[in-house]
Amino acid sequence: MSDLDRQIEQLKKCEPLKESEVKALCLKAMEILVEESNVQRVDAPVTICGDIHGQFYDMKELFKVGGDCPKTNYLFLGDFVDRGFYSVETFLLLLALKVRYPDRITLIRGNHESRQITQVYGFYDECLRKYGSVNVWRYCTDIFDYLSLSALIENKIFSVHGGLSPAITTLDQIRTIDRKQEVPHDGAMCDLLWSDPEDIVDGWGLSPRGAGFLFGGSVVTSFNHTNNIDYICRAHQLVMEGYKWMFNNQIVTVWSAPNYCYRCGNVAAILELDENLNKQFRVFDAAPQESRGAPAKKPAPDYFL
Amino acid sequence: MEVEVDEKELKAAGAEPLPDGRRGLRIHGWEIETRKLSILTSSNLQLWEEKLQTSHLPEMVFGESCLILKHLDSGTKIHFNAFDALTGWKQEALRPVEVPAAAKWKFRSKPSEQVILDYDYTFTTPYCGSEIIEIDTEKHGREEISQGTYGLHWDNCEDKIDVVSLASKEPILFYDEVVLYEDELADNGVSLLTVKVRVMPSCWFLLLRFWLRVDGVLMRLRDTRMHCVFGVGENPIILRESCWREATFQVLSSKGHPSDSAAYSDPSIISQRLPVIMHKTQKLKIPGNL
Repeated sequence: MSDLDRQIEQLKKCEPLKESEVKALCLKAMEILVEESNVQRVDAPVTICGDIHGQFYDMKELFKVGGDCPKTNYLFLGDFVDRGFYSVETFLLLLALKVRYPDRITLIRGNHESRQITQVYGFYDECLRKYGSVNVWRYCTDIFDYLSLSALIENKIFSVHGGLSPAITTLDQIRTIDRKQEVPHDGAMCDLLWSDPEDIVDGWGLSPRGAGFLFGGSVVTSFNHTNNIDYICRAHQLVMEGYKWMFNNQIVTVWSAPNYCYRCGNVAAILELDENLNKQFRVFDAAPQESRGAPAKKPAPDYFL
Repeated sequence: MEVEVDEKELKAAGAEPLPDGRRGLRIHGWEIETRKLSILTSSNLQLWEEKLQTSHLPEMVFGESCLILKHLDSGTKIHFNAFDALTGWKQEALRPVEVPAAAKWKFRSKPSEQVILDYDYTFTTPYCGSEIIEIDTEKHGREEISQGTYGLHWDNCEDKIDVVSLASKEPILFYDEVVLYEDELADNGVSLLTVKVRVMPSCWFLLLRFWLRVDGVLMRLRDTRMHCVFGVGENPIILRESCWREATFQVLSSKGHPSDSAAYSDPSIISQRLPVIMHKTQKLKIPGNL
């Protein structure tokens, strides 16, 4: 058994790798990812997965439902880390699979694959806690800069973490972005990872936060038409039912973190496309409590004031 | 968050657990119950949007979750739920807070036609609980008499919640925490409304907390505490203390406090750093038997 296969077996048991192993794995991953396009081509059949957020045991449920990699070809739409308890193991398992089977798994970048966001929402603290230093966080966030920004399945389905950008009309414009950087606060790259579809606008909307675009049905129609695609598949937003179509089936949100944050009670979904691009959503629940080991959720009563 | 309590302890306090697997207990004429369920489904969320006349709600609305404290003799019911809290949000309708990136975005070339949404995406609410009188009548089934008609009045007062007695470690017979709604502000912070309750042999105490952190901009804490001491032979009195605190990151860092959001994940640790902007104490006298 090669080192890599052994590491994959170890990660499947939710045991993290040694710091030196993480460093070596990231170096290998970098060589593969640097060759990928900003609009990475993906062949069908493929199974598309949305946000995971460090919910390792729920991702194992996902693989039970969707089949193991490399037997199943996967496309993950980002947000591997933060919020859940096992961001380290989750991301490293996906990365190890990427290095082992580069043509059978595609990882694109979510807005959480960023230095700034991971320092607030959990991944940074988790690395520090599990390794006693921030080196692993550094290796991982350096790799984030190499992740592709989007994928194109059989030239017909455009996949991205967040959504569209007013600065982007054609896929070629995405191809020219210099992606090897921290996610910027504005511009096309930022929008692809952050924006949301919005029912109540038809064209473009600006979030009440003063930053962040919202896009309506007519924006999606013209993007799909210009680029000759059937529909857009994205993640980024929690959906109680695991997936949600909008704008007459021109865009679908796929969410793959069941019982999000261990308390929402939502189901998760993955989208399976066969070789003819026929769709099947597979909906699944969170892993049962007994299969997820510690930490048990039973805080002592609290003498709050 | 369920806590296994010693049966003997419950008995000694004159309390009994609620039947049928419900969470909570009966004690001194009160029935105290929590319900914790999933977030609203998409179709229910849409119904709520119509009822509240809004196109936006928090991404996680625990619409069926609640805390109920019912005084059985008088039918007085104090309860906490997301719907009433969001009704308060809709009424208060604060102006949106801009995130730090907004300054840069002002100079960004924009699509020629764009709609600027201007609802309060922080879901800040003045909510401090709901109360009704609810009587079970054999003839008419359940009757609800809303506040006001039967004189449920919170009167301003000078009393203070007895923190010293609450700090004493008498056994906790029932403890729970219920999330009413939560939003991640699209990864720009957190907006969270929760209610915690603990019931001891001598009293019940609860804390309703709205916690908001807009990363790099501001923090807002709106706490409502209620305390009811069990007495004998008299109508119970509930004391309610509301305390609102608020500070911008700018002010905090000028006082030498950290200005990174990661330092402000737990409101109970940092609440003292936030200046009080509103404080009031009120009293509710539970009416006699109806």
